[in-house]
Amino acid sequence: MEEKNVKLRIYGMTCEDCVETISRSLLEQQGVMDVNISFQDGLGEVEIDPTQLKPENILKNQVFSRNSHYKATLIE
Amino acid sequence: MRKETKHYDLIILGRGAAAFSAAIKGSEISKGEMTIAMIGTGPLGGTCVNVGCVPSKYLLEASHRVFMPKHPRIDGIYETIVDHDISAVMKGLRSYVSDARESKYAEVIKNYNNVTLYDGLGKFLDRKTVEIGDDREKKIGIVSGSNILIATGSHPSIPNIEGLRDAGYLTSDSLWGIDKLPSSVAIIGGGSIGLEIGQALLHFGSKVIIIEALDSLLPQTEPEIGSALRALLEKEGMQFYMRARIDSVHKYKGRKLVEIITHKGKEKIAVDEILVATGREPNTGSLNLEVAGVKTDSRGLILTESSMRTTSPGIYAAGDCVSKRLFLETLAAREGVIAVSNMFGETANIDYGSSTWAVFTYPQVAGVGMTENEFSKKNGSCLCRTFPLSNLTKASIMGETEGLIKITVDPKDNRIVGMQIMAPNATDIITEGAYAVRNGYTIDDIISTSHIFPSMSEGIKIAAQSFIRDITKMSCCVE
Ligand SMILES: Cc1cc2nc3c(=O)[nH]c(=O)nc-3n(C[C@H](O)[C@H](O)[C@H](O)COP(=O)(O)OP(=O)(O)OC[C@H]3O[C@@H](n4cnc5c(N)ncnc54)[C@H](O)[C@@H]3O)c2cc1C
Repeated sequence: MEEKNVKLRIYGMTCEDCVETISRSLLEQQGVMDVNISFQDGLGEVEIDPTQLKPENILKNQVFSRNSHYKATLIE
Repeated sequence: MRKETKHYDLIILGRGAAAFSAAIKGSEISKGEMTIAMIGTGPLGGTCVNVGCVPSKYLLEASHRVFMPKHPRIDGIYETIVDHDISAVMKGLRSYVSDARESKYAEVIKNYNNVTLYDGLGKFLDRKTVEIGDDREKKIGIVSGSNILIATGSHPSIPNIEGLRDAGYLTSDSLWGIDKLPSSVAIIGGGSIGLEIGQALLHFGSKVIIIEALDSLLPQTEPEIGSALRALLEKEGMQFYMRARIDSVHKYKGRKLVEIITHKGKEKIAVDEILVATGREPNTGSLNLEVAGVKTDSRGLILTESSMRTTSPGIYAAGDCVSKRLFLETLAAREGVIAVSNMFGETANIDYGSSTWAVFTYPQVAGVGMTENEFSKKNGSCLCRTFPLSNLTKASIMGETEGLIKITVDPKDNRIVGMQIMAPNATDIITEGAYAVRNGYTIDDIISTSHIFPSMSEGIKIAAQSFIRDITKMSCCVE
C-alpha cells in the first residue's frame, strides 16, 4: 500500500493541548496512518491510505465540524 | 517557491461582491487566522456599488420622483412639474456611491487584519502562483496560495460597429459621470441594463430609442411579461426598433447618426448620445488560465461545479466570471461564500433553480424558477396561470394595473416550479415565489397562507386561487 502525504492548514489552535486533541481525533479516522501537527505554523501533515480515505474527507473529521473551534483547509 | 514569493492561505483575484463575501466568510470561519491576499484594480467593491446595482437604482428612483407627479393616476390629483437639476442629481448619485463604497467596503475591510489588499491585476504563473502587475504589465509582486478564488467579474462588451468608436458612446461604466441630460439617446441592447437606464433617462425627459437584435424584450421572461413591459414603455414614450441591427454610426453636426437595418430596410436616426448595453464579457482573458488548468466555455466564462470548484484542484471561481445564466450581485456573493465553505470541507452547493432575478423598471419585473416553456420542454407538460393586476384591488386603487403574475406548477403534484411578476414592487414580493420554489410549496400552501388585503402580495394568493376557480367570478373575500 502506498501512503499519501496530505498537508493541512489548521486554524484555531491556541496551545499544545489543541495539537493533542486534533491529532487524536485524526488518528481515530479510518485511513489515517500518521499525523504531525505544528502549533507554531498552524500546519499539519497527515499520512493516509488513499484506498480508504480521500484527502478532502480529512476535513470532514469531527474535530473540524461546524460547531468545532478548529477548522482546516487542504494545502493542495 | 520563488524567493520573492509571499505565501497566503487564500488568494482572491478581484475585489467586488464575490471577493468581499469570500474574504469575510474565510475570515469568519478561521476566526481571522486565514491569511488572504485580495488583488484587484479600480474602486473597492467592484461593479455593484460603483457602476452597477447601486448607481442604476439611485438614478431610477430619482427619475421616478420627477416622472410620477407629471403623470398622476388618481382622479383629482393634477399634473405637477417637479423642478430638478440633473447635474445636482448626478452629484448626489456620485456622493451616495462614494459613501456606500466607503461604509460597505473600504471601512469594512479595515476590520480584517488578515486580509492584504494588492492594487493590481493578477495572472497565473502556475496552479498555485499569481503574478501581480499594473495595467501596463509592470510586475508588482508574486504571491502563492494554498487555495485561489477567481472573482474577476466582467466588463461591458462593445459590438464591432463601423464608426462607433469615433462617434463616441457611453456604457454602464461611464454613464455615471454625466452632468447633462442628453436630449435623445439611442440605446443599443434591450436587456435589463438597457431598459433600466433607458427608463431612467426617459423619466428625466430624454427621448429614448431602444435598438434590439431580438424580436422580444427580456428573453428570460415569460412572453406575456416582455410584451406587457414593452407596451407600457411605449406608452411612456420609449421607441423600439426590434430585430434591428446597426450598420454604422457617424458624427453629424455635433450629433450622432445611427444607421439601423430592420426588416423594413435601412433607416437613419440622429441622437445626442449612444449608450451601449449589449451585454458583458468576463475579465478572464489576461488571467493565463491555461497554465493553471482552469477551463472556460466558448465565451471565456469559467466552468465550475455547483461547489464553485473549477477544473483545477484548489482553484475556485465566483461571480460574473463564472459560466451560468444569471449575473447578479446576490449570486456573486453567495457563490463566494460557497467556494470558501467548501475549502473548509463543508458540502455547499449553489442552487440557481431558486435564485431570484429582477429588472428594476417601473413597474418592476422579477422571477424565480422555470418559465412555462422551460418546464414543458423538460417534463412534457405543465400547468400555469396568469393573473392580471387589473383584477387586484390594491393595484386598481393605485391605478397601476399594467402588470401580471404568472405561476407555473408541476401538474403531477401542484408544486410551484416558477413564478414571474410584473408589478410596482415585484422585487419585494417575489421572495414568496423563492420560498415556494426552494421548498417545494404547492398552490394550496400559498392559498392557505395569510396575505394582507389589499396588498400587492395578495396578487400571488389570487394567482394561486386561479388554479382552482374562475377568479373573475370571485368576491374579494373568498379564501
Ligand atoms: C448597470 C448594472 C446594474 C446592475 N444591477 C444589479 C441589480 O440591481 N441587482 C443585482 O443583483 N445585480 C445587478 N448587477 C449585476 C452585479 O453588479 C454583478 O453581478 C456583480 O457586481 C458581480 O460581482 P463580481 O464580484 O463577480 O464582479 P465585480 O464586482 O465586477 O468585481 C470584479 C473585480 O475583479 C477585479 N479584476 C478584474 N480583472 C482582474 C485581474 N486580472 N486580477 C485581479 N482582479 C481583477 C476588478 O478590479 C474588480 O474588483 C448590475 C450590473 C450592472 C452593470
